[in-house]
Amino acid sequence: MASRNRTTLRKTFIACAVLSGALLLVVILMSLVGSERLPAGASLCALLSFGRSQCTLTSDQFDILFQIRLPRILLAAAVGGSLATAGASYQALLRNPLAEPYLLGISNGAAVGTMIALVFFGASEWSRPLLAFVGALLATLAVYRLARGRAGATPERLVLAGVIVTTFLSSVIVFVTTLMDATRIRSFTFWLLGDLSGTSKNLLPVAIAIAVVGTVVLTANARSLNLLMLGERDAFDLGVEVGRVRIVVFVVASLLVGSSVAASGSVGYVGLVVPHLARLSLGSDNRLSIPAAALGGALFVIVADTAARTLIAPRELPVGAITALIGAPLFIYLLKRT
Amino acid sequence: MGGQRDFLLSIHFTCKRIRDLGLWLCLGLTLVLAFGCSRRENSTPQTSQTFRDVTDDAGRRVAVPFRIDRIISLAPNLTEIVYAIGAGDRLVGDTSYCDYPPAAKTVEKVGDTLHPSIEKIIALRPQLVVVSTASQLEVFTHQLETQNIAVFVTDPHDLEGVFRSINQLGTILDHDDQAKQLVGQLRSRTAAVEAAVKTTQPVRVFYQLSAEPLYTAGRDAFVTDLIRRAGGLSVTADVSGAWPKYSAESALAARPEAIILPTGGSMGAGNATVAEPLQRSPAVLQGKIYRINDDHLVRPGPRAVDGLEEMARSLHPNAFKL
Repeated sequence: MASRNRTTLRKTFIACAVLSGALLLVVILMSLVGSERLPAGASLCALLSFGRSQCTLTSDQFDILFQIRLPRILLAAAVGGSLATAGASYQALLRNPLAEPYLLGISNGAAVGTMIALVFFGASEWSRPLLAFVGALLATLAVYRLARGRAGATPERLVLAGVIVTTFLSSVIVFVTTLMDATRIRSFTFWLLGDLSGTSKNLLPVAIAIAVVGTVVLTANARSLNLLMLGERDAFDLGVEVGRVRIVVFVVASLLVGSSVAASGSVGYVGLVVPHLARLSLGSDNRLSIPAAALGGALFVIVADTAARTLIAPRELPVGAITALIGAPLFIYLLKRT
Repeated sequence: MGGQRDFLLSIHFTCKRIRDLGLWLCLGLTLVLAFGCSRRENSTPQTSQTFRDVTDDAGRRVAVPFRIDRIISLAPNLTEIVYAIGAGDRLVGDTSYCDYPPAAKTVEKVGDTLHPSIEKIIALRPQLVVVSTASQLEVFTHQLETQNIAVFVTDPHDLEGVFRSINQLGTILDHDDQAKQLVGQLRSRTAAVEAAVKTTQPVRVFYQLSAEPLYTAGRDAFVTDLIRRAGGLSVTADVSGAWPKYSAESALAARPEAIILPTGGSMGAGNATVAEPLQRSPAVLQGKIYRINDDHLVRPGPRAVDGLEEMARSLHPNAFKL
């Protein structure tokens, strides 16, 4: 057992080191592309000096790189990491490969929360992630309660409960947007589809902190999640505090989903595709797949958002459209393979 | 993305829930009866009316009655045109966006431009419905045509297009003289502006439709033509589409010399501040931020020339000093 633990630890370490390296590389590479062409050498020089030196960039180019592009890429990383981690832990806790923030309606719960914040507390930026968190948590509890029949929560019941909560909350969103005035509808619908262009300087550090802390907390509970995959009864017999783990996952995952939806709207499929890829390539040990999913999610959303901001430049696409375009076919492929 | 799926699923669940076959039969019967009745009503030959063909901006040939007493407008700019050519008394319905001239507010509302109520429109028995492409829906048009209601589509992309709309409505409503007179006045005001700015250096303008997310005016927007005539040069004039979502870094790199914020009209007090990436543009540093009533800039109607004059005076104050 001890030696097995050590091998897992080593495997986790190697996988995380490789993925972190890839993440760093992607952050740097994607900072070099955008709707405006920046000289690659000078940009690289400025990036590697952590913005302390302007190298040969003009001050406008420097601002584009450090005020617009890099914050947006870091937000994409935080959002991707958050959503993939939340997805991976929902899937383990609920023993359901289809558990995903977007499909379960949890993203929609967070979206309704954000919308309430925008309509009633428009001036306060901090109300958005806070109410998004509350919305996500309430949606999670609703899905969970609906899914738990007398015979326990079957995967089918869970997905159906998710569908019901999703459609219900979608109608709430449609209802409120109809009441909004015309100019706000435009910005709101774009945001709903997942949009990273409105990167807020105040909320970015919060989103990153939540992504990192959330991933650490959930990885710390990975052993319990592993045992929970055997079934709640067995996990309980093996000494897992099932109730406590459930609360931790629900609260932390809601926090992750809430902060990413408040920052970027509903970016779909990240929580589904990335954990699946992580498990397919690294096995289903959550101690390994949760941190790997976090890093993979960050990579996935950074690449998707780079496509969103460059494909039809200087116009922009919503990133959620890109993740769904990549995610849905990939998911069908994964389903057929397994 | 999820909308259609959600919609289908919601229909699916509704159908499952309503198990009562009788209800469905009853509903079906009602529909058949209702349809049958309306069909009979429509099939009465309208011998009193004679029609003529006009071609609208969508390239459709529309048969409109020679004498039109009842018209519905589904866009605020068209409502303004109808009133401006003195045919406001024929307007039996308009939208909740139609707030100018004040009389337009008292006309029966049929919903807003994007969501008009087809039932309400049919109930008002118009002979003609005029729409702008913003509200044009194929199914919607078809439904009205099966009710013998002509639908005329306007789609102006520039000031010439606005003049064309005015003349077309003048012809259709038999107010040709008023329309020609109005277009003449608008043309001479436009010419005066163009003459005043003719020798000036064009000012590079960023038109900010909304700050977050950042939207601007593209190639197909009618305001792009207004900016050009006002002695400006929209930095986003070549971007495809009418109202594109614009890249923040491109906005920063564009370094506009002036920024126009459409605000304070029916869009409300929003959009009064410059977007973050434009904060250090020459326009902000030199204080060349111009807040102009959005109704004058986004509605392709007679007041667009007011917008043109306001923009030109803002961009080239010296050209208008006399």
